[in-house]
Amino acid sequence: MIIENILAINITIKYNNVKYTLYEKGGINVSTLEKDFTEQEELEKFVARIEAGDKIEADDWMPEEYRVALIKLISQHGISEIMGALPEKEWVPKAPSLRRKLGIMAKVQDEMGHGQLLLRVAEDLLKPYGKDRGDLMQDLFNGDLKFHNVFHMATNTWADAGMIGWLVDGAAIITQTNMLGASYGPYARALHRICAEEVFHAQHGEAIIMALAEGTEEQKQMIQESLNDWWEALLMFFGPASSTTTGTSKQDVTIKYKIRTSTNEELRQSFFSKYIPRILSLGLTIPDPTLHFDEEQQLWVYQQPDWNKFKQIIRNNGPRSQARLNLRRVSYETNAWVLDALSAAVN
Amino acid sequence: MEQKKTFYQEFEVFSKRTPSSPFQHQFSLLAPNAEMAMVMAQENFMRRDPVADIWVVNREHIRGLTKEEKVTLQRLDNKDYRTTKGYGYLKKKWRHYEQQMLDEKEILSWAGGNKND
Repeated sequence: MIIENILAINITIKYNNVKYTLYEKGGINVSTLEKDFTEQEELEKFVARIEAGDKIEADDWMPEEYRVALIKLISQHGISEIMGALPEKEWVPKAPSLRRKLGIMAKVQDEMGHGQLLLRVAEDLLKPYGKDRGDLMQDLFNGDLKFHNVFHMATNTWADAGMIGWLVDGAAIITQTNMLGASYGPYARALHRICAEEVFHAQHGEAIIMALAEGTEEQKQMIQESLNDWWEALLMFFGPASSTTTGTSKQDVTIKYKIRTSTNEELRQSFFSKYIPRILSLGLTIPDPTLHFDEEQQLWVYQQPDWNKFKQIIRNNGPRSQARLNLRRVSYETNAWVLDALSAAVN
Repeated sequence: MEQKKTFYQEFEVFSKRTPSSPFQHQFSLLAPNAEMAMVMAQENFMRRDPVADIWVVNREHIRGLTKEEKVTLQRLDNKDYRTTKGYGYLKKKWRHYEQQMLDEKEILSWAGGNKND
């Protein structure tokens, strides 16, 4: 025990890395307790907290690997919400009725709102690096930050707008609910808000599909064609089963830190179990003759998507990758003078 | 690190669902001033659920706890004289006098007047 400083009413004791400052001010005891933790002790405490189901907050100590994994995951998620609004907003002027137009506009607004929430979470994590959402947007334009593979696809008909709401949002609900218990508190809270709205999105999509499924032969054919076009994208949505396909995968590190619980393949299987019976009940045919449920393995057996195509998509070489990036880039660059003018006025 | 030029400030948003409910933290947002923060709060977080009031608070004005201070929040389990737990033995005593204990559940049920009075 080292007694550093003894005054009549001010004593500091250092013992076992814990600094006790005992003193009185105006007759009131305002003693404090400080501990200088080593990196290893911090890590042990962090792991123990995560294991105990405690939530990590933005200003808490966290290992670099955790922070980097969260930044990658959440900035990609946030930017994807914004990029995902683009294929849907194409259908706002073309919606078949006023009610449908209001419905899809509300959905597009929600997606942008989700982007706002997630970028805030990412920005708080980016603070030690001095970066903000402007940097994330630049990373997107440079190709350093990816947006979700499903939003690189074209939407050709109104049935595609319905299919996105029903099955793409359905798939998104499965991946996002898997992270509702995430160890990082701000992300878990953002996801709770997002998932509550995704329920509306899924039902909005179901309503469009249901109307077409109960419509004319032409309309029924339209949703079948849409399903044929989107099936492979829906399989790719969850990502490859392991990192061997593309060389990297976030799933291992995110499971290790209790950000998510299930693997890509488990999520894909869960999507099959929930949606295949519903797709079939509407009289639709899934464009995969090999698809069946294997009772012995308790798994869905299916034709793998073309993972080479997936690799092209995630390099921004998908059907609509460059067109959507350009749309974002043009609007960002055209409006950049507003940000510049306002920043100049503030500083 | 050089401070980047930005006109955005960080605001925390609180709102209450009904006039009688407590304020609840919603989320944070970026806005150039409190007026815009109020508009953005409604756009971002109050598109559906009912809302009775909204607060926006600049993060700079929030005094939170430091890591060290959080450690001091740990309670010692030696304050049962402050809680009903410390007086639980009364239940048995009242039973001896053939009376029911007026516990928290019973007392809080008196809200709005007792119909049997």
